[in-house]
Amino acid sequence: MGAQIIRGIFDVLSLSSILILLVIGMAIIVGMMKVFNMCQGELVLLGAVTGYLCGIYLGNLWIGILLAPIVVGLFGLVLERTIIHRFYVNPQGALLATFAIGLVMRETLRNRMSRQGTPVDAPIQGSIDIGGASLPVWRIVIMVVTLLLALAIGYVLLKTNLGIKVRATLDNPDLVSVSGISTKWMYAGTYAFGSALSGFAGAMIVPLQTLYPNLGYDNLILMFIAVMIGGLGQFAGPLAGAALIAVPGAIIGQFISPVTGQILILFLAIIFMRFRPGGIFQRGR
Amino acid sequence: MSEIKKVRFRRSAAIATSLAAVLVLAACTSGGSDTAASADNAEPVKVGVLTDMTGAFGIVGKSNEAVAKFTINEINANGGVLGRQLEMVLADSATDAAIATQVASRLVNQDKVAVVVGGVASFTRVAVRDVIADKGNTIYIWPASYEGGECSTNVWNTGSAPNQQVDPTVEYLLAEGKKTFFLAGSDYLYPRNILARVRQVVEAGGGSIVGEEYVPLDMTDPSNLVSKVLAAKADVLFEVVVLPGTAPFIKGVVDGGFKGKIAGTLFDEGINPLIGAQAEGLIGVQDFYLSVEDPFTKSQVAKFNEQHPEAAGLFSATFNATAWYRSFYLWKAAVEKANSFDTAEVNKAMDSVSLKDSIGGPVSFEPGTKHVNLQMYLGESKADGSNVILKSLGSIKPLECK
Repeated sequence: MGAQIIRGIFDVLSLSSILILLVIGMAIIVGMMKVFNMCQGELVLLGAVTGYLCGIYLGNLWIGILLAPIVVGLFGLVLERTIIHRFYVNPQGALLATFAIGLVMRETLRNRMSRQGTPVDAPIQGSIDIGGASLPVWRIVIMVVTLLLALAIGYVLLKTNLGIKVRATLDNPDLVSVSGISTKWMYAGTYAFGSALSGFAGAMIVPLQTLYPNLGYDNLILMFIAVMIGGLGQFAGPLAGAALIAVPGAIIGQFISPVTGQILILFLAIIFMRFRPGGIFQRGR
Repeated sequence: MSEIKKVRFRRSAAIATSLAAVLVLAACTSGGSDTAASADNAEPVKVGVLTDMTGAFGIVGKSNEAVAKFTINEINANGGVLGRQLEMVLADSATDAAIATQVASRLVNQDKVAVVVGGVASFTRVAVRDVIADKGNTIYIWPASYEGGECSTNVWNTGSAPNQQVDPTVEYLLAEGKKTFFLAGSDYLYPRNILARVRQVVEAGGGSIVGEEYVPLDMTDPSNLVSKVLAAKADVLFEVVVLPGTAPFIKGVVDGGFKGKIAGTLFDEGINPLIGAQAEGLIGVQDFYLSVEDPFTKSQVAKFNEQHPEAAGLFSATFNATAWYRSFYLWKAAVEKANSFDTAEVNKAMDSVSLKDSIGGPVSFEPGTKHVNLQMYLGESKADGSNVILKSLGSIKPLECK
């Protein structure tokens, strides 16, 4: 019985940390930049692919995990300078354009694959036995990494000079540009940074799933709901939003059927948004 | 103001131009098919091949397309059907019911195909069935192992029915002394019907069900379900959690220390490599494994891999490769028996056609059931994804449409 409770608590922590890790990149791009980035899932996918390829050709997923944010970050930079920046004034257009980019990326990979998916081994395998429950080590690594990453980014955004510039640019680009800061590159850099984080998340979580073309897309709706609940225009909100749907979801899932649980969570999310349309950390009215 | 007008004008001009282009294109294509419709006997017969070339089932589509090409080429090389060559018309249903309906309608109304073989998921079958078989009055062959219950006019099923896979699997496990079963699946028709059959056979055989749980189709991390399975401590986990959940689910259960046997309807060379080393020991029944020793099967699969390197390794029962192969030959046998391509005549003949040789073993329609008698094999998976055949089960009758 004890093992069951330990496993239950572990599931809650594990599922929440995975969703938060997935949402971090989106919190920057959708949450802060307010670009409705429908290809965010494919940025996760690209990170997973980078991790997988490094695992295959370099024999080491660790290198893949380090390389994924660099590769996906550069990809994001190119994407922003060529396509995304044209749509800052046209959010509906951004929705369609990024959806199309995602579709192309997904189907290109599908075309290249000879199977429906490929398993990717975690760099650290095995489980730790706690109170009779065997808990996979890689899930524990993800919990720790997610926590550290969220704290580090929060620190950079809130406490450093660079963070102030980024937030100022997104808040009031005109004022920032007359202050002598290149808003063009601030936007591009921020988008690239959000992409890099998603790429990192992809390489981290792919060992828990399989590498398959819909890896990111299948999580996209949940990620968007997290951002919506958390509220736009800030970094911490979407992460809190992710926790707010993952934690009760994982708890409810242990007692009732996961299908009913998912419906219930989405229902609660709608009610929540009705009463706090500005998100968790809604300010004033 | 004038700027806005200019933009509007440019936009509407662009729309008009593209509209005109589409109309011209449409006129050209419909003109082309009119000539084909009024063909004499020397003209090839068009055969519709409908599968998901894109979207979630894109890889299955890749396999289906290659098997269709392989089979049609083979039939053509041996003289075609009633002296006429077959011409394959490929339609991409894109893992989307609405698109499936559109392309099915094009196959029937525009290309005027004599038969449509296709569909990966049941939602596609349900979407295209009426367009092809009912309104289109064209033979529709559904080449997939599925949840059962398809008995519509002009529709013929060439994949395995639930009883053909489930009954021998459960009977084997009960005979091995396994008494308690946990049922887990994705939440849609196929897993629910398969697991209903499992429950029936388990209870009839004196076993008991200690749990039954479903997860949403799009759930990528079924950790909660893993915990429930581990807590139930059943002798057998019978699972029909479909992709992408399959691998994380089975890995979670195995790594979590599950002591019982894991059985299912979707384990073979096509799926096991996704699961990795945790595939070791999975139990199931299929109409084909790569380890089937039948000489015809062996030589055909070797020929397929040689002719279709792009799909080598994609010839597997869970990709419906065997069902696709026999579909064209069963239809050919029915056309030859009827001596006509006419839907009503072929329908009559189809009810009792059989093939002495097919990949996996001989096959025949069981009269009155619209489903086929199939050679089935009880298989156990190995860590490298391959399967050993524990037992050749012989021909098993489909219990459908009675």
